[in-house]
Amino acid sequence: MKRRDFIKAATAGAAGVGASMIGLEAVAQTLEPRVVAPSDEIVVGVIGPGSRGQSLMRRMLRVPGVRIGALCDVYAPRLTEGREITGEDTPVFDDYRRMLDEAADLDAVLVATPPGLHAAHMTASLDRGLHVYGEKIMGFTLDDCDAIVAAAQWSGKWFQIGHQYRYAPWYREALERIKEGEIGTVTHIFGYWHRNYNWRRPLPDPTLERFINWRLYRDTSAGLLAELGSHHIDIANWVFDEIPESVMGSGSVMFYQDGRNVNDNVQAIFKYPGGGTFVFSSLIGNHLVGYQINIYGTGGTVALTLQDGAFYYEPARANSAVPEELMERGVNTSASLSTEGDMPYRGPGLDIQTSEADADPNLLAVASFFDSIRENKRPYADEIIGWNSAVPVALGNMAIRSTSHVPFADHVSAPRVNVGRGE
Amino acid sequence: MLAGLLPAWAAVSLVWAAPDSLYYEARPAMGTTVEVYLYAAGAGRAEALFEAAFDEVERIEAAFSTYRPTSELSRINTYADATPVTTDPEVFALIDHALAYSRSTDGAFDITVGRLMKAWGFFRGQGRYPSREELLEARKKTGWAYVTLDSTARTVRFGKMGLQLDVGAIGKGYAIDQVARLLRAQGVEAALIGTGQSSYYAVGAPPGEAGWPVRVPAPFDHAQTLSTVYLRDAALSTSGNYEKFFELEGKQYCHIMDPRTGRPVEGMVQVTVIAPNAADSDALATSVFVLGIDAGATLLDEQAGTAALLVTGPKAQARVVSLGWPEEIAEGIQ
Ligand SMILES: NC(=O)c1ccc[n+]([C@@H]2O[C@H](COP(=O)([O-])OP(=O)(O)OC[C@H]3O[C@@H](n4cnc5c(N)ncnc54)[C@H](O)[C@@H]3O)[C@@H](O)[C@H]2O)c1
Repeated sequence: MKRRDFIKAATAGAAGVGASMIGLEAVAQTLEPRVVAPSDEIVVGVIGPGSRGQSLMRRMLRVPGVRIGALCDVYAPRLTEGREITGEDTPVFDDYRRMLDEAADLDAVLVATPPGLHAAHMTASLDRGLHVYGEKIMGFTLDDCDAIVAAAQWSGKWFQIGHQYRYAPWYREALERIKEGEIGTVTHIFGYWHRNYNWRRPLPDPTLERFINWRLYRDTSAGLLAELGSHHIDIANWVFDEIPESVMGSGSVMFYQDGRNVNDNVQAIFKYPGGGTFVFSSLIGNHLVGYQINIYGTGGTVALTLQDGAFYYEPARANSAVPEELMERGVNTSASLSTEGDMPYRGPGLDIQTSEADADPNLLAVASFFDSIRENKRPYADEIIGWNSAVPVALGNMAIRSTSHVPFADHVSAPRVNVGRGE
Repeated sequence: MLAGLLPAWAAVSLVWAAPDSLYYEARPAMGTTVEVYLYAAGAGRAEALFEAAFDEVERIEAAFSTYRPTSELSRINTYADATPVTTDPEVFALIDHALAYSRSTDGAFDITVGRLMKAWGFFRGQGRYPSREELLEARKKTGWAYVTLDSTARTVRFGKMGLQLDVGAIGKGYAIDQVARLLRAQGVEAALIGTGQSSYYAVGAPPGEAGWPVRVPAPFDHAQTLSTVYLRDAALSTSGNYEKFFELEGKQYCHIMDPRTGRPVEGMVQVTVIAPNAADSDALATSVFVLGIDAGATLLDEQAGTAALLVTGPKAQARVVSLGWPEEIAEGIQ
């Protein structure tokens, strides 16, 4: 029996078992994933070879034994561009269902379409028995998120979410040392992603506005909280080893009143059950702050960027000697407070050193995905990690739009385990 | 009220109908300044085009920069000593193209020349005379012939310890070409893309013009013009011994290496090459600079659509040489 037929038979048999989570997991166990031998070529189909898809395709082609075997996009220029990247006459499709039906040699699918299409594209690929590298945010709606988790677990195939910073050596090093207590107890995380750029892509034809600039419209985009903030939320989950229990937020269209209805500045505060707080800010009309994630602990701080990171330590308290003159002279009263102690720290930190030279997180992420397939081991950033950042995005947007405080328990139940899972 | 009835992209469409105007933006990238001139219907569209153009430059720099430890080329440089490194078709093709130049120039063009550049102090520096040991060591770690490509497996392997690839002499031109492609795909009909005034590619021509005017300066007095080219769907690159050099005991040492001797090229002052694309004009300008007049002429003869304007030195006996140069050349200029 061919692998695909086996999977069809297996999935047909599974349908009767019932949809409870327990039942699905039991079925998943009977569906032995094909173990791809280290020498086997892994063939990948791409749904949505747009900007991100193309960038990941290039990375995938840097991994030995990986071939892009099919491209699917509804916009023809992307197929031409995709073939330029593969350097071959890769089979192309304008409908993902046809690609999944006809491209018989696929082992895995890369889904890099706009977020509203993720659930359809990811669940269909998993249902066909293919491993999936799925771009963030995993699901657009709460139901989408649940459906993808269920499809991944039911298929028994691996799902990896596009949170590549989980694979960045300097992030991993920082997280390890934070867990060892190097900056005490982490109480707050402040994440910024500020840019000065209107987020508009050029249009070869003005009628394509909604299609190409999908990020600017609510029915296709979850906005800055998703496109930029989901990575930070994922890091906050990782550090706190939990997911938030509530969120409040605000946002508006402030810089670019050009017909968009997606906010160009967003602020959100996530509260974690253990007492931690994550504050996120994104605005795209001022660049000063750039991308930063500052992890504040009782004993110090870790500052992470897209290229590096550094540790800072708080001065030890209550151990400085009392100057002797104090008792003789007394203290002076003064109208103005000394500002010195409240100036921002402007000195250097202790840079995070990592040994890996090939520290491109995107390459490390896709290489790890193929290792998962070859060695049959669960991806580090799996569907649960995906759910854990996509759900806070959905509820964060609910809070922003309704200007209210949104407790997670009112909307989602499933507690999500192993949030900060190690390897 | 009316605004509410317009489709969301109305703001864009209204601008669309306006006649094209010229826009310009320059940003630091690839260790130099990248400039883009383009005709677009309105500032909004121009802004989106610039953003996409500079994103593309950043993408290429992120893949090819040897200053970035995370680049694909740095990864190749780190591992290709020990094992064949698989890379993507784009990176493979550019390395392959560069090695083809090494073959056709008998090593005058060589992307393994980085160690020599370092020995002569031209990596992040203004240059200095190396010690004999430094030079020997650098020459041991140089040589395009020790780079093995396997086009089926798409791997790069070094046959010599310590080899390092640096595509500096072709990569900037390549980046310009890719930006030109991107702008064309976006419907742009007239644009000029340049890097640090050393390479330009022209998409079409400004409305009503024969081409984009690009001035080739006189090498000893940049205020004077040696020749003006009206560039259209073609590229132009200039290599000069004055870009980076140092002087020692009255002698000038420039930053362009002759990999065959391990020393800076002598006797050539400036080479400007026109070619159908900027990766080639960039690589050819360096190649001809190293090869000199005769071998340079032979090389250009093999490639359609190319021409060059050379200035040889020293200054007192400066000579201007045309290899099929299509435009007027100013006389008596220094
Ligand atoms: N992990 C990261 O750092 C990162 C970075 C950028 C984008 N992304 C994510 O990647 C996804 C895509 O973003 P992008 O910037 O590449 O967008 P994009 O618009 O450039 O690409 C989306 C592609 O999907 C195609 N498409 C649309 N509908 C389709 C359909 N029904 N079937 C097949 N193809 C279809 C489009 O034509 C386009 O080529 C988003 O989810 C985004 O959040 C992730």
